[in-house]
Amino acid sequence: MNKIVSSILLLLFFIETNAQERFTISGYVKDASNGEELIGSTVFVKELQTGTITNHYGFYSLTLTPGTYNLVFSYVGFENLPKQVSLTSNLEFNQELKADPTLLQDVVIIGEEEEDVNVQSTRMSINDLNIEQIKKLPSLFGEPDIIKNVQMQSGVVTVGEGTSGYFVRGGTPDQNLILIDEAPIFDPSHFFGLFSIFNADVIKDAELMKGGIPSRYGGRLSSILDVRTKDGNSKRLAGSGGIGLLASRAMIEGPIKKDKSSFLVAGRRSYVDLFLKGNDDVSKIYFYDMNTKVNWKINNKNRFFLSGYFGRDVQQFNDDGAFNWGNKTATLRWNHLFNERIFSNTSLIFSRFSYGLEIFDEIEGLEWTAAITQVSFKEDFAFFINPRNELTYGYEGTYRKFSPGKIVPNSDNSIFKKTEMPKTSSLDHAFYLGNKQDLTKELTLEYGLRYSIFQNVGPSLVYEYEDPQDNINITRVDSTKYGNFETIKTFQNIEPRFSARYLVNGSSSIKASYNRMVQNVHLLSNSVVSLPFNTWAPSGMYIDPQKSDQYAVGYFKNLRNNKYELSAEVYYKKLLDVTAFADNANVFFNEDLAVEFRRGTGKSYGLELYGRKNRGSLTGFVSYTLSKAESKIPGINGGKIFPSSHDRRHNLSVNASYELNQRITFGANLVYGTGRPFTLPVGRYEVENYNLNFYTGRNQYQLPDFHRLDLSMTIIPKKNLGKKFSSSWTFAVYNAYNRKNPFTIYTRKKQNGDGDIIGDGSELQARLIYLFPILPSVTYNISF
Amino acid sequence: MKSTIIYILSLPILILFSCEETILIETDQADPQIIVEGLITNEMKRHTIKITQTADFYQAGDTPRISDASVTVSDNEGNTFIFLEEEKGIYRPQVAFEAKIGNTYDLTIDINGKLLTASEDLLPVTTIDSLTFGLNEEDTEEEEVDIFSVYMYTIEPQDEDNYYLFKFYRNSYWLNEEGEDITVTDDTAVGEAIDGIEAPYWYFKGDTARVEMYSLTRESFVFWNDVATLVFSDGGVFAPLPANPRSNITGGALGVFQVSAISAKEIIIE
Repeated sequence: MNKIVSSILLLLFFIETNAQERFTISGYVKDASNGEELIGSTVFVKELQTGTITNHYGFYSLTLTPGTYNLVFSYVGFENLPKQVSLTSNLEFNQELKADPTLLQDVVIIGEEEEDVNVQSTRMSINDLNIEQIKKLPSLFGEPDIIKNVQMQSGVVTVGEGTSGYFVRGGTPDQNLILIDEAPIFDPSHFFGLFSIFNADVIKDAELMKGGIPSRYGGRLSSILDVRTKDGNSKRLAGSGGIGLLASRAMIEGPIKKDKSSFLVAGRRSYVDLFLKGNDDVSKIYFYDMNTKVNWKINNKNRFFLSGYFGRDVQQFNDDGAFNWGNKTATLRWNHLFNERIFSNTSLIFSRFSYGLEIFDEIEGLEWTAAITQVSFKEDFAFFINPRNELTYGYEGTYRKFSPGKIVPNSDNSIFKKTEMPKTSSLDHAFYLGNKQDLTKELTLEYGLRYSIFQNVGPSLVYEYEDPQDNINITRVDSTKYGNFETIKTFQNIEPRFSARYLVNGSSSIKASYNRMVQNVHLLSNSVVSLPFNTWAPSGMYIDPQKSDQYAVGYFKNLRNNKYELSAEVYYKKLLDVTAFADNANVFFNEDLAVEFRRGTGKSYGLELYGRKNRGSLTGFVSYTLSKAESKIPGINGGKIFPSSHDRRHNLSVNASYELNQRITFGANLVYGTGRPFTLPVGRYEVENYNLNFYTGRNQYQLPDFHRLDLSMTIIPKKNLGKKFSSSWTFAVYNAYNRKNPFTIYTRKKQNGDGDIIGDGSELQARLIYLFPILPSVTYNISF
Repeated sequence: MKSTIIYILSLPILILFSCEETILIETDQADPQIIVEGLITNEMKRHTIKITQTADFYQAGDTPRISDASVTVSDNEGNTFIFLEEEKGIYRPQVAFEAKIGNTYDLTIDINGKLLTASEDLLPVTTIDSLTFGLNEEDTEEEEVDIFSVYMYTIEPQDEDNYYLFKFYRNSYWLNEEGEDITVTDDTAVGEAIDGIEAPYWYFKGDTARVEMYSLTRESFVFWNDVATLVFSDGGVFAPLPANPRSNITGGALGVFQVSAISAKEIIIE
């Protein structure tokens, strides 16, 4: 593989040296107020009517023939910066842009091309989550949350409230790769999904890739959520915080050496337990997060970043038991410029998700823990060949250790004994190569290939079964012990990626994309949404890699000089070898989990309509998705196709914010969705004293429709306007018209309000559980 | 052990915020399905086999019983026991018999030509060494009446995989929270010394507490464990997707043919 890469590079160099001599203008584009590099900032060359955008580190590079050029640096919400350069040799050209919120008013200033990023770029099916916008909108309990925002994007569906799981274009939550500074997060939820692990104060940029996924990303079938944190104000000490009804947060950032190095530390803690003092069952329930970052930008050639995230959820039930779970990540990155045209990022990434469950009892006491740990080395190159070709290539190597479960007695008289499920490990190598090429002014292509070698390795213990699909009579015929790094099974896969953009005119384009994705880490869950207690397993003897193929076509149009962004996209996705489970599978602490696996397939397709208003006092977006998702799993529903548990036909989200004046902003969220598919009983029968539901098939029915309106109002006290220290109050109401949104339906013997059975117990009744009634909240936010 | 874990795992934290109300569900009712419930133990008695059918979800009263079925149980020693219908759907042998540990029992049911069969071994069960009782101070304080807990002592055989079903009685009444509770478990992670594991029910002064421990084969454990999953599920997004319990009966019926050895002990709370 390396030989192929080097040959291509040599070829390109050869082509280059034979052409006319060129020089490179390169540098970083930063926010003048705090020194944060701007991701996706446009650098436009007027003479060529083309340009580039800054990468994830704020870096750009343009290789041009010598001459005088008029460049324009721009970024949403910032003043355009025109600069003239006379290019006679390579030029390091860093820029700082000044923020200007008035630009979001309805004023036409800029030329057309620079702003139409959504129309111009080949990127399709990628939603940029505007962090500032997210902070202004009504949120549950006043905590702005990017995951809640992700759940409102077109093509994304949820199964209701109370969960951070999101389903992208028919895929399940375990098929989403969630990255924080390149480190994967295995479970993004706090407090069972009411909050996510992302503290909005520390986030600089977030992108949700639903399709057209470039070759440098891989590992999950359905989406990539790439979240980047701020580096820390390199100009002055600053901070922000908020005190809310359920949680509070604080952040401090500042320079260590002005303009060269800075730090950021942020923490968040909830105190829900204070409200539950009266509750009999729960004595402790809280979560906390900490984000830290330190960076050292020596010069344009070398920059170092060290970031870490640590968070935990803790629940305790009086003296009976306790759970806790959480993610820990750390990323060390080195940006290096080999020359003005070759940008390299080297990362060392650590991530660990673990949970613990404890039962406190002299006789039945135990501690049950499980974890997944991964360490990766990643090398990414971006070779800015010329303004029409940008080559990216690299390697990612990951070592993962899967510890599916260990039980240890926690008292002398406990009935439990130390038991551990066999661990396993994996080595994952991925090589990628991609190019973004402007074939003509109208047609741009982005194509690439990702090649992965995945190995399931020891130390491990693998059983051989007489019938690996028989989960009733499990007969082990043999067991093989594997030593450290001994290969158990190897899988190789090629993932082609392709996207194209055809500019119909300056403000509209047609885009198309195809991607194949492969997933080698599988979440072992047989519920609709996973619990933090579900563990992960690598592809191996009994699980094959999951694959997906997705095709998408879309039409993008901007109106009134990018005041309105509209798009319509159609997608079709096929899921192959989806890891599924037999009915009644035992996924917890099961040494013979292999016999519960079933290989399923899935298919989903849909239409996504999206409209966004970017400027004016009223801004926001509307997204509507019409979609269908179906699954087929041998042994489930008689082996016939059934609606996937997240198959919700219609989904509408409206997100709006209205600035009444400089001090007061109103926000509103409206969501509407078809109820999710559900398995309801089609009869009942008795076994001893048990009155049981009789089922045929799966997901043949639907819960009632789901809709909700949230409202908020943010007020900045008069005395604070324009001052360094500013504060604001946010009043919000979640579920403003108190809709009883169904969470689930369960059945029980007919009872009265006190829990006494009515009649002889043969009569059953169905009960609807709905979660959140109208919930008001108040949050006080400060920043300095 | 599993039941405690399952209970804790299925306790959605969202209960804190949730509300519920009764609704009417409208589903296409399925064609009737046969349910077989048989329990043969090592007790000397006239064991019962019950054959019923599924009913519509909202149909109250007894589910339909199947009469005129021919029911026989035979063992590997050549004995055949013919079960006759005594009450609607309930079949018993004319003479009491006790099943022997180590034997295999075969069930044959003929319902108008439809043949249902099952075959199970009678596995041994460890003995309950003793029961003790003690005042449950915390609950007594709350309820203002003396509440006692009963504790069981036994040895769990470590050399094999064992499966158990427990039944708890108060004054001959089987306690299962009106069909909302079941205690069935395997022996994963369970050590040898079971010294005083607490029975999940309260007892009052003067009560006779009885604990029965049934041995289960892997197949009958799978059935009762699947029943437990249904009994404890709330149908929510965190619960396992609902499915019918896996039956050990061949020929097209749900239910279980359970062949168990029982170890029982009683104690009077005085």
